[in-house]
Amino acid sequence: MADVDETLKRIESHKGVIGTILVNGDGIPVRTTLDNSTTSQYARLLRSFTALASSAVRDVDPQNDLTFVRIRSKKHEIMVAPENNNLLIVIQNPCE
Amino acid sequence: MREHFLLRTLKMFADEALDPVTVASVWRKAQQGAQQSRGCQTPAVLSDHAGVQTRFTASSSTQTEPQEQNLQEGGLGGPDPPGLVDFLKRVEDTVTKELEKNSRSHAFDGYHANWEEGSDHVSLLHSLQHPGAEESGLHVSAVSWSCTGSVIVCAYGRTDDGDWTHQKSCVCLWNLDRRSLRPKQADLVLEVPAAVTSVCCHPERPALIAGGLYNGEVVVWDTSRTQDPVLAQTGMSADSHREPVYQVVWVPLQKKGDFGVLSSSSGGEVLLWLVDPDQGRLVLNAAYAFVRQQLPHSSSLKSRGSSRVGVSALALSPWDADSFLVGSEGGLLLRCSFSCGPPAAVAPEGRSVAPRAPARFCFRPAGGPVHSLHCSPFHRNLFISAGTDGEVRLGSLLQADPLLAVRVSDSYVFQAQWSPSRPLVFAAATGQGEVQIFDLARKSLRPAATIRDGAADRTATCLAFNGADRRLLAAGRSDGTVGVWRLSSDLTEQRAEESLRLEQIANQVAE
Repeated sequence: MADVDETLKRIESHKGVIGTILVNGDGIPVRTTLDNSTTSQYARLLRSFTALASSAVRDVDPQNDLTFVRIRSKKHEIMVAPENNNLLIVIQNPCE
Repeated sequence: MREHFLLRTLKMFADEALDPVTVASVWRKAQQGAQQSRGCQTPAVLSDHAGVQTRFTASSSTQTEPQEQNLQEGGLGGPDPPGLVDFLKRVEDTVTKELEKNSRSHAFDGYHANWEEGSDHVSLLHSLQHPGAEESGLHVSAVSWSCTGSVIVCAYGRTDDGDWTHQKSCVCLWNLDRRSLRPKQADLVLEVPAAVTSVCCHPERPALIAGGLYNGEVVVWDTSRTQDPVLAQTGMSADSHREPVYQVVWVPLQKKGDFGVLSSSSGGEVLLWLVDPDQGRLVLNAAYAFVRQQLPHSSSLKSRGSSRVGVSALALSPWDADSFLVGSEGGLLLRCSFSCGPPAAVAPEGRSVAPRAPARFCFRPAGGPVHSLHCSPFHRNLFISAGTDGEVRLGSLLQADPLLAVRVSDSYVFQAQWSPSRPLVFAAATGQGEVQIFDLARKSLRPAATIRDGAADRTATCLAFNGADRRLLAAGRSDGTVGVWRLSSDLTEQRAEESLRLEQIANQVAE
């Protein structure tokens, strides 16, 4: 437990990070720095988005697999690291 | 001779008595069938009595509890499944690398994606007129968009008179999404017995419209009723205003989904009404009166003239449900609170609710009557105010002096409103007939766009941004026409750094 918290703290201390969400294999957010409604929205939407991206990559080349997803929006950038249905979602505001 | 004959005949006829003879009826016996007689009887019904009584009772009840969020089940802070720690370890390096790369990246500098085809210029979509109002020489005194963004409500009245008029006027509605839109004929015309000074559409129910009249009444119309659209009105009761109503606004109440109507008048009071549709009346819920002696003093206030402070502008804060801003005919700008306040020092005047004095803070007064106030939908402390001194002032709720004063025109400014889509843009309707749109992101303080429609001697009296379709702006003029304009995309699309810039402006302290 301490490891998880420490790791997440290290990630959150990076420049511009607005929030982090750790989602387990069942799609339930287990660690979050945002409020409940935003967290559940992100977890639900990004889970299906990542599954779609992953199947797109694998359909084109079955030997290939999805490693990382970055979504750039007007206001910030959302990064998702997927593995076995676990997700680590980090939202960063790249201040230019 | 005759008598002898009669006597002799009579002796021959003597009475005789005979026995009666009976003849028995044979027919009846022949018709009668054989007769038999039987009898039966039910045995006696057995009945018995017994008594039952409860000796002890127990009661229990059940209730469903609100569903707990998934978060609680996931064990926030509890023991983690073992795979999670390993996953995190594996993933941490990648994520850290990406975060650092991203914070240094210049890949997206100056890149703006356009999802819709933007337009480069401001164009006039419709010019709406009501011939009846034009004939009576009425000005457009207020415009309001419905919450769905498809219906525009225009109120007619006069903005230059100071007299009591008995002129009838109207409120016209146009549905802009209909294909059969006729600019010269309104879709619905509501007849009103006096000049209308202000309208406001309900934030959630598209059929309700609140309006304030010149004779002090406040009316709520329900356009879904075909027979009599007036849903509720204050009438000329002891509770209503006695001076013209300047502005009406729908206010969210304690219970979510309920709204009340807040009305302000030049008699110096702000009243909160609740709609009672069964009786067709507006019921007074709270009253706030402004008396000069009870205002929080600032050094530049001169107490002269009557003690009543006529309220000419009202603005609700979307961030703080308890506070509202008030601008007066004398140029005062006050920040007020709904809930707490000492009782007002006015004669009760037969009102059912005792008025309170809500003023909490006094900003630096403007040079003339304040016509319009609006709180920024993007920053909790900023607001703009416009009055007859031709300037739009940007102020902060935290300090008395304004942050910025923008010279908009040489004559009066009738209304100023923040754009609902870009935090740094606001529009002002001026007495010279133009609507000026300012963009604070620009270095110079000249208007980003000017909307001029026709002759310069017509004043632009009111304007409203469409909350649903952010590119539309409606502006009403004193010749009775309402123009619906589509703004260019650089005035409506939010850019990357705007919230930051707004924050910087808000944090400036005036010298």
